[in-house]
Amino acid sequence: MGNKQTIFTSQQLDAYQDCTYFTRKEILRLFHRYRDLAPQLVPLDYTNQPEVRLPYELIGSMPELKDNPFRQRIAEVFSEDGEGNMTLDDFLDMFSVLSEMAPRDLKAYYAFKIYDFNNDDFICKSDLEKTLNKLTRNELTEDEVRMVCEKVIDEADLDNDGRLSLEDFQHMIVRAPDFLR
Amino acid sequence: MRRMSVFPQHGTALGLTANEIRQEVENNTSELVSDLVNLSARARFQAIRSLPMSFNERKTIRNRVNSVKLSKTMLPADCRQQVSRSFRRFRANLASARQRLVVWQYTLKEIGGRFGTSVLSYFLFLKWLLKFNLFSLLINFCFITIPQIVHAPNVSNATGFRGLELLTGVGYFNQTVLFYGGYNGEVIVSTPAYNMQLAYFFTIAAYLMLCGVSLLYSMSRSFQNNFVLETGPVSGGAWRLLCSWDFSVVNEKAIQYNKNNLGIQLKESLSERLQEKNKMSLSDRIKRLSLHLLAWLLSLGLALGSGAGIYFLGIKLTFSFDHDPNDLKAEASTLLLPVVVSLINLIVPLLYSLISKMESYSNPRAQIYISIMRNVILKMSLLGILCFYWLNDVPSSISCWESFVGQSVYRLLIIDFIFCLLGIFFGEFLRNVIGTMWIQSLGVPEFDIARNVLDLIYAQTLAWIGIYYSPLLPVMQVLKLFIIFYLKKVSLSMNCQPPKHTGRAAQIQTVFIALLFFPSFVGTLAMVSFTVWRLRPSDQCGPFQGLNTPFYAIFNWIDSIQGSSFWVCWIFENVLRSELFYYLITLIVLVITFFLWQITQGRKELIKTLREQIANEGKDKAFLLNKLQTIQKQRREMTSYRPQDFDQTPHFNPNWMNTLPLDM
Repeated sequence: MGNKQTIFTSQQLDAYQDCTYFTRKEILRLFHRYRDLAPQLVPLDYTNQPEVRLPYELIGSMPELKDNPFRQRIAEVFSEDGEGNMTLDDFLDMFSVLSEMAPRDLKAYYAFKIYDFNNDDFICKSDLEKTLNKLTRNELTEDEVRMVCEKVIDEADLDNDGRLSLEDFQHMIVRAPDFLR
Repeated sequence: MRRMSVFPQHGTALGLTANEIRQEVENNTSELVSDLVNLSARARFQAIRSLPMSFNERKTIRNRVNSVKLSKTMLPADCRQQVSRSFRRFRANLASARQRLVVWQYTLKEIGGRFGTSVLSYFLFLKWLLKFNLFSLLINFCFITIPQIVHAPNVSNATGFRGLELLTGVGYFNQTVLFYGGYNGEVIVSTPAYNMQLAYFFTIAAYLMLCGVSLLYSMSRSFQNNFVLETGPVSGGAWRLLCSWDFSVVNEKAIQYNKNNLGIQLKESLSERLQEKNKMSLSDRIKRLSLHLLAWLLSLGLALGSGAGIYFLGIKLTFSFDHDPNDLKAEASTLLLPVVVSLINLIVPLLYSLISKMESYSNPRAQIYISIMRNVILKMSLLGILCFYWLNDVPSSISCWESFVGQSVYRLLIIDFIFCLLGIFFGEFLRNVIGTMWIQSLGVPEFDIARNVLDLIYAQTLAWIGIYYSPLLPVMQVLKLFIIFYLKKVSLSMNCQPPKHTGRAAQIQTVFIALLFFPSFVGTLAMVSFTVWRLRPSDQCGPFQGLNTPFYAIFNWIDSIQGSSFWVCWIFENVLRSELFYYLITLIVLVITFFLWQITQGRKELIKTLREQIANEGKDKAFLLNKLQTIQKQRREMTSYRPQDFDQTPHFNPNWMNTLPLDM
């Protein structure tokens, strides 16, 4: 333990524990995962909070993400610069939200952000089309894609403004308990 | 929820200066902090963790909360910090220790990653059942078996161990503590005296009661989470696109597979939607209805027929039951009944799936539920007829009938286990080999979650039924579940592919828990209580020998403590034994149920009204925005006469354009 303690001060570790769903051990393990992505970039001493950002190419190559169709969006949503380059804090944050301990409301909030490709705080038709293209293997015709998107909006849009707000999305998720378990 | 108020809200940002916005955010933050300070320590950290902000913002809020919290306590500053820190450390250590106790965590994660949540739910169910059985094993062993072994080890074995006993449970095992007959109901003389009759009775009763409570609890929890707001039309398009992606899947092949399935399902739901428009004619409908009727008649007939067959086979075997313990052939013949039962369990569901293919349901969910229903009817009619046979025909014809029932249940469990192993080998392994090597059109077999879970429920029902007649039966069940867990895992990754129509895993899980409660647990409870209250225990063996019914043990006990503890006797006489008490309880439960039902109805109405209100407000908004737009247009036409103003920035925020109900 004495060796590992020097990576973070105990205050830092306490803060990490209070703000994420992880235990001390898991935080250290995640730190090593982070560091293994680029050992030459990430120092072993985080006590003075160095400004290190790992580029998206490295983050996206992790086994947890590398096959996920939304990997780029996930990285973008959780990174502070919005381009998928992650600090250690962003990295821990991402795993905390994606972990099974995180409540459904929090996951729903981030899922909404992930599906909101153009960052306008609404899921509109173009966002849905992008989602659809990522989730299927381009076997649907253009017409079918349009129909599916229309149907989704028709079903889930409560206030009839032609696009889905966060509230619409959360309401739909309450009715679909399988969501992101 | 308050935490929503800290979002940067784009709509309200209009017309506010940067300073005002900062002020607003600061106000919101301090409000949030003061809210958080008032929570209990655990709730506070949970709330901080689930704030939808970036890590740094969360940390700032956490630091502010902590400093406010610390300034409120009475202790000196450094001592305060020390205390709070060590307290937090302790809690964190506790959490990590608890995590280590979770069995199979990594394995379950791996399964979820490779096959998705719906297959994972099967394994979670299995693990949940395992917990029940481990618990019952523990209490039965501690309170019944250990006292019996320590006090009077029954070592009157007439026969040696030959191996066949492992399958049949007779012979060598006959007089061991595995079965009811291995116990005797003496009061063990010690200080204080240990009454075996009472121990046997109360241990079984306590276990069944705890099972019931825990089932009710998990059923209500699951129902609450998965069904409550299930109102309105959910035909699945929106749900399928935005909620059905399983983020836990990390395996590349599985992801390709899931993508494929999603595409197919979306296409299906589109074609369904097109089909809905052209309605069926009357003759088509009658044809379909009669087809359903025929299918139901066929499946019910199959269930009843197999039930009757089992009953007559059982009666015939009882009368030819040979008592010579050295006759191997007679011993082996006892295996006939369980083999037939397992064969029926194997073959009839296959026939059912053929029948349901013939029916061609348009709605896959209806098809799944109907096939579950038919299978449950089959399994319950088999078990019901067996119970009837055990309670009606066996006690009068066999001397130590409780042990006989225990052994029958034991055989059923063992043979069921063997069939399960064979099913894994032939049904999954060979089927996979055939499907990939010879007949390509068959393909790789799908993992049928419903069938597998129903098998588990059936085995668990058997284990519950047997618990009175064979207190150590949970040993077998625990071993069986353990082996099945690993074999299924291996077979899944080698032979099967995850199911195509996953449906809604969470809802189906609730259905399974409900099934485990309703026919399975309630039926067991009825059978065991009938045995305890009504049937005469056998005279030669068992803890209750010589009594009219096992329940007389309680009467005798009450009589013996009549003088010493008045209250126990009073409660026993006036509460537990009076019909009035049960009438009252039933009445109260019914009234409460009625009230709750009324409340649910009221809330449903309310939800409907609120939904209409939202839709109306949306229309209002659209109307107002349209009006605004026309005004804007008019103004622009007016200003277009003044070219110097034209290239100025527009008067409204560009964000507003997005809210206009136009196709853009």
